[in-house]
Amino acid sequence: MKIFINLVVATLKDLARDRMAIFWFILFPILFIFLFGMIFSGGAGNVNFDLGIVVEEQGIFAETFIASLKQSEVFTIYQGSLDAELEALAGRRRNAVLALPQVQLGPQFSSGDQPSEVIVPVYYDASSQANKVPLFMLGEIFNHVERGIQNRPRIFAIDARPVQSEALSDIDYLLPGILAMALMQLGLFGSLRLVYLRERKVLKSLGATPLPRVQIVFSEIVIRLLMAAIQTSLIILIGHFVFDVQIVGSWWQVLATVLFGAFVFVSIGYMLVTFAKTEESGNGIIQVVQFPMMFLSGIFFQLEFLPPFLAPVVKAIPLTYLGDLLRSVLIGMPYAFGLATDLLVLGGWLIISLILTIRFWRWE
Amino acid sequence: MRGSEIVASITVRGLTKRYGNLTAVNNISFTVEAGEIFGMLGPNGAGKTTTVEILVGLRVADAGEIKVLGFNPTTEGRQLKSSIGVQLQMPALFPRLTVEEALKLNASFYPDPFPVEQVLEWVGLRELRRVLTYKLSGGQRQRLVVGMAMISNSQILFLDEPTTGLDPQARHNLWEIIQELQQMGKTIFLTTHYMEEAQHLCDRVAIIDHGSIIVLGTPQQLIGDHFQEKAIELSAVESDDETILQQLPGVTRVQKVDSQITLYSTEVEATLRELIQLEKEQQLTVAGLAIRQASLEDVFLKLTGRSIRP
Repeated sequence: MKIFINLVVATLKDLARDRMAIFWFILFPILFIFLFGMIFSGGAGNVNFDLGIVVEEQGIFAETFIASLKQSEVFTIYQGSLDAELEALAGRRRNAVLALPQVQLGPQFSSGDQPSEVIVPVYYDASSQANKVPLFMLGEIFNHVERGIQNRPRIFAIDARPVQSEALSDIDYLLPGILAMALMQLGLFGSLRLVYLRERKVLKSLGATPLPRVQIVFSEIVIRLLMAAIQTSLIILIGHFVFDVQIVGSWWQVLATVLFGAFVFVSIGYMLVTFAKTEESGNGIIQVVQFPMMFLSGIFFQLEFLPPFLAPVVKAIPLTYLGDLLRSVLIGMPYAFGLATDLLVLGGWLIISLILTIRFWRWE
Repeated sequence: MRGSEIVASITVRGLTKRYGNLTAVNNISFTVEAGEIFGMLGPNGAGKTTTVEILVGLRVADAGEIKVLGFNPTTEGRQLKSSIGVQLQMPALFPRLTVEEALKLNASFYPDPFPVEQVLEWVGLRELRRVLTYKLSGGQRQRLVVGMAMISNSQILFLDEPTTGLDPQARHNLWEIIQELQQMGKTIFLTTHYMEEAQHLCDRVAIIDHGSIIVLGTPQQLIGDHFQEKAIELSAVESDDETILQQLPGVTRVQKVDSQITLYSTEVEATLRELIQLEKEQQLTVAGLAIRQASLEDVFLKLTGRSIRP
């Protein structure tokens, strides 16, 4: 164990002194987030959302609710029938339409029984960058209203119903994508180091020492995971404090997801370079794989945007699922494929690539 | 390994290694005694590196029985490796560790390593201790990897062409260190294609060519067995008929490599007198002439018909 720690420290030093590696692993994703952040975040401070409200039954609750919404400077409130408001949404005169259901302010709230949730459908146009923001804000307002009525959490839940899905391109959507990209690149390109060490006979030289060779690989993986954690922290902190991206997942959920994702791509990276004799050829293989993966996985735009014949390709790409997983864990977007599917696909890639790597890896 | 009792450190019997059709090492056998400096001398591609890599457990022999410190390198590599220090031919290092860090890392792999300071002193890298290894010159790298093997403080030191790329000064320094290690009771197995090195440093030498050991013995034995003569080196010889050299008095052998001719003579004086006479009669011209004792180089030349120099 002491030998292993020595090895990890030595490898860390060796890596940290490589400015190119630091650029790729740390600065590149940060540049990405600043670039996208500048382009897509816009001036979030003076945004105004046009909100349509459909009231199914007038009453004290609807009046109170609308009144509290009107106090918010962010929303401009319109009222009308569901059909009229949805038409306005389609015509882009509304950012979202909220259908306020009939609410019984009666025994349901005052009794000690568990109240059933009141579902509030919110329709929004997912094509415009800013439209998810009011969803979060509405959620907050409901919480607020709810607590005003009774000191009890979770009575309302927003049921987001997108009526249109084009390229969703705002910084909230992009941040998990950038993180997914960073993890993929970290894993794939990081594998080249082992090829370099093999090509330069460092692995062979170490093979003549009492150090077990698998420890070299383990130390590489440990360092890759450590770097993933650092990268993630940087990206999330910048996203949060500079571009005001709200992270909904707890830190351990985020960490677990990130480490899992990094591990998947580290092992895919090793699988890809198993047959590469030189660092250059390994680099070529990885470029060929990572470039289409980046643009066909939907980490930067929504999948529906791609021509349908690409769908099987998209669904085969592991990065698609990591993006989906991270979007859900980080910013609370609903899963496109489902948590189980994401984990199964990524886990499948992990296991297959590990098996192939162990089977075909050559130490020299 | 008890006391001063002479124990074989390495025994090899019938070692053979093939790469496809090429037989890199062909049925070689030898024994290395504890505490001796054993040299394997031969040109590039003779099978020296393959032999070393098999002995330290990096390659698997196709045939043969090998014991290093009583261990089978193939099946008991793990136990063996803590008792041997190995320097391989390609200086391979983590590029961005300093000289000192590289030595410390290697030291941490072994149960009882030499102090880093001691090794820095030995290989003359004290001033360069904080230099990143990729910035070292070829000779400095070579000294570092030799140091990384030495730091193991192990019973046997395997050095594969340890002085290649070193300037004469550094080479002589390294010879002294190797002898110092021998005095500490270490066994040293080294390969080289430098005759002087084998002759000066090794207790016993195995001359290897095309994967086979041609002769094995102390340098003095090998030279004495093959030459009672001295060598007369002639450079840039021009003559219509070089066979006249064969007829010179005292000459037992004539060896020609490129434009260099070496005469082996039991009566140097008589040979030279006649040679000068021939030159006066303008039967041949010689640009340079040197007389020396026969060396391992001459032994190799005699046995293989080729010069060992790469």
